[in-house]
Amino acid sequence: MGVKRKKSEAEELVEGGKSNDKNIESSYKKKREILPSMIKNKEKRSIVHAKMKQEKKLEKRKKLKARDANEKRALELGEEPPPRAIPRTIENTRELDETVCRPDDEELFAGNDADEFSSVLKQERTPKILMTTCRYNSTRGPAFIKELQAVIPNAHYFKRGTYDLKKIVDYANKKDFTSIIVVHTNRREPDALLMIGLPNGPTAHFKLSKLVLRKEIKNHGNPTGHKPELVLNNFTTRLGHRIGRLIQSLFPQDPEFRGRRVATFHNQRDFIFFRHHRYIFESKESKGSDSKVKKVKDAKGEKIAQERVIARLQECGPRFTLKLISLQHGTFDTKGGEFEWVHKPEMDTSRRRFFL
Amino acid sequence: MIQISRSSDARSKSSDPEVTRRSGSTKKTSRVLAVSTLLPLYRRRAAIVPPSLPVATSRFRRSFSPSHPHQFEAKVSCPICKGPVREKQVKGFKRLLLPFIAKEEQTQTACNKTMPRTTTVECPGCPPLRAITFDSLGLIKVVEARGERGGAPSVVERWGDPDASKCVLAASFDDTKHDPLLAVARKNGLIEIINSLNGDLHVSIPNVGDAGVQPEDDGIVGLHLFKRRRQESLSRSCTLLTCSTKGNASMRSIEVSNPAESTSVDSIKSWNVCGSGTVLCSKVDGNEKYALFGGKGVEVNVWDLEMCTKIWTAKAPPKNSLGIFTPTWFTSATFLSTDDHRKFVAGTNSHQVRLYDTSAQRRPVMSFDFRETPIKAIAEEPEGYNIYIGNGSGDLASVDIRTGKLLGCFLGKCSGSIRSIARHPTLPVIASCGLDSYLRFWDIKTRQLLSAVFMKQHLLEVVFDSNFDDKEVTHAASDVLVQEPQNMDEIQEDETETEPVKRKKTPKVKDESKKRASKENEESKKLKSKKKSKRVKAESDD
Repeated sequence: MGVKRKKSEAEELVEGGKSNDKNIESSYKKKREILPSMIKNKEKRSIVHAKMKQEKKLEKRKKLKARDANEKRALELGEEPPPRAIPRTIENTRELDETVCRPDDEELFAGNDADEFSSVLKQERTPKILMTTCRYNSTRGPAFIKELQAVIPNAHYFKRGTYDLKKIVDYANKKDFTSIIVVHTNRREPDALLMIGLPNGPTAHFKLSKLVLRKEIKNHGNPTGHKPELVLNNFTTRLGHRIGRLIQSLFPQDPEFRGRRVATFHNQRDFIFFRHHRYIFESKESKGSDSKVKKVKDAKGEKIAQERVIARLQECGPRFTLKLISLQHGTFDTKGGEFEWVHKPEMDTSRRRFFL
Repeated sequence: MIQISRSSDARSKSSDPEVTRRSGSTKKTSRVLAVSTLLPLYRRRAAIVPPSLPVATSRFRRSFSPSHPHQFEAKVSCPICKGPVREKQVKGFKRLLLPFIAKEEQTQTACNKTMPRTTTVECPGCPPLRAITFDSLGLIKVVEARGERGGAPSVVERWGDPDASKCVLAASFDDTKHDPLLAVARKNGLIEIINSLNGDLHVSIPNVGDAGVQPEDDGIVGLHLFKRRRQESLSRSCTLLTCSTKGNASMRSIEVSNPAESTSVDSIKSWNVCGSGTVLCSKVDGNEKYALFGGKGVEVNVWDLEMCTKIWTAKAPPKNSLGIFTPTWFTSATFLSTDDHRKFVAGTNSHQVRLYDTSAQRRPVMSFDFRETPIKAIAEEPEGYNIYIGNGSGDLASVDIRTGKLLGCFLGKCSGSIRSIARHPTLPVIASCGLDSYLRFWDIKTRQLLSAVFMKQHLLEVVFDSNFDDKEVTHAASDVLVQEPQNMDEIQEDETETEPVKRKKTPKVKDESKKRASKENEESKKLKSKKKSKRVKAESDD
């Protein structure tokens, strides 16, 4: 048997060799070209480099044009246009992760029912948030807190004073708060966010960056006092799921849709982007040659056909980015705390590995 | 410019013979290599092998990537001695290694499919073993790694329904060959005794504490199922030692019978370990005569289980040079060896590991710090002086307890607090589990991750089943005995046959699927690359 296998292997070798030869030759030819990096004179190098870049650009443009022409022709002939190639991104070549939540996982749902947030999310308790800062707090810190209070309903700001965080946790537990948010400021710029679930929920420590306050946003809107809707995007793994639930437990579970107010937490490559919007549905008069759907509606009534409903967005409130540093089991405890997840440098061996 | 061109000329000349050699060798490279031409150049060079080497070696060569020089050793290690395999050895080990090779090939092809090189978790696979884990939803899961599956452990069985009130607090395993039993203490105050082979519930008894104490307030932290006494008395009864957070320790013997019948609990001996504070760790020594208890505000104390008397209490270490006194808060403890009850190691919340010797003094003989989070788990090496410590931020390390020197850390992207470490009784393997819901197996000598299994819940406890290995071996041995009288050569052939057939089948299936895909492409697009057509031709030659 061993001999047999070798034979088939040998056949394969020969077949593989044919295609291999050509590839190697072509690569060899390419090698002989002068690469700009081989030129030592900077001026000349940059000239060559610029030339190559220009060529590449032109080539790309040509390719795109050809593709568009192809598509157009196909459409004219009534054929199915060739499918567009999906560009390869870091997200869609993400490393395989077995911890990604599946909708058919019964253990996941059983775990959800048992976790610390379930009482809030099942609307047995109304979320009540205590907000505080680090000890020294000025300029951007208070402004950020004010805006965050506008985003999260039923949030109460308490001055930090000189209290220990552990004592604050005790106090909040007594007063029936459901979570604590601590904004940490460094050099008058908010740079970290701590979310603590109460009474025994986890503690998430986020790095906060790219903070833009309402004033600095052009054409910003002013939020109303309605309970906002919440959008949580791309929290896929078990850890992400947990973080998502932690964030969800900050907001009331019965949004007032009249307010047309949305708070979005969008996770992309482990960065959580926060945006706060107002939206409005506007009806606009549509042009005649729009689509078939409209024509169908034509038969029913002409007035409807002329109107088209579009949604418009207006950004209001702060804009910031969070990155998870650690998730601690239990409430805040730096010395004796147990971590459910900590970021460690040895995890950063691949750009395509994400945890949320 | 002239200079440049000359230099490039020189380069091409020098590289010429290399190229000819390469092109000569490529004639005899496998089809997988054709795929490998898509790889960046430096990897391809590693992939191309002179034809004189056996096929298996060429496979190993492929696994070697210049960016990770250790990968070669890490991926291909001898399944017996765990040492790295040299090229000469490979021929002999080929048969043994075949499952490993097959597995490797899978990962390789997977890598090639998703073209941008992704790093996979390098797991050389486990020796055959069986581990049982307990999690926060009260589930008991059995993980088995078998030789024929390429050593990848997987969850085989799951006992119980997810219920948060049944969260496992402590577990103990009586590891006998005949009728092994598993004792589990749950959050709702029940102690269950389970058959560890099929998960049948034998007995379920409520934890009888003082009247009026809710089981939720006074959870069990320590549970020990006695081994020897059960063997002595052939009657189906077993003895349990339990200890609750408030320090109520009790010993009871239970008739193991069907759960339908009423269970008789007789001879309860109970005593109080501590006046105040909470007990967090308890351990029974190898001879099962002594037990130690420790916790928050409870100094470690050793009890004689036969007499039910306290024989020794630790004394807090003195204030440090700044006059600061650290409060006692023990989080984990273990006896150092099975025979000696006098020496034990305890880990504290202030990330200190202390070695106590009851025959020497009441203060620790030695103490050292480990990292910055509380020590959550300690396990000892039964014959030897190493201990394994795990802490609240997922660091696992082995330490020589004679000197207190750190031997090395177990690195494996472990991100959550380690709750339990178990040492395999025979194999050089330890298992760790914790809040990151992974069960990991590690090699002791190389401190490498053998494999990690995702268990979906926060794990609280893990135990090894030592008898599993024996069973496997006996099965295998019996098989061989049956086949031996026929013909040795045949057997060998059989063994070699089964593996390669599997291996050959998989690429063929892939080829077919490729063909199909390419055909579909033809139909839809009528546009195809030269490469594809070539490959299709090659396959049609098949």
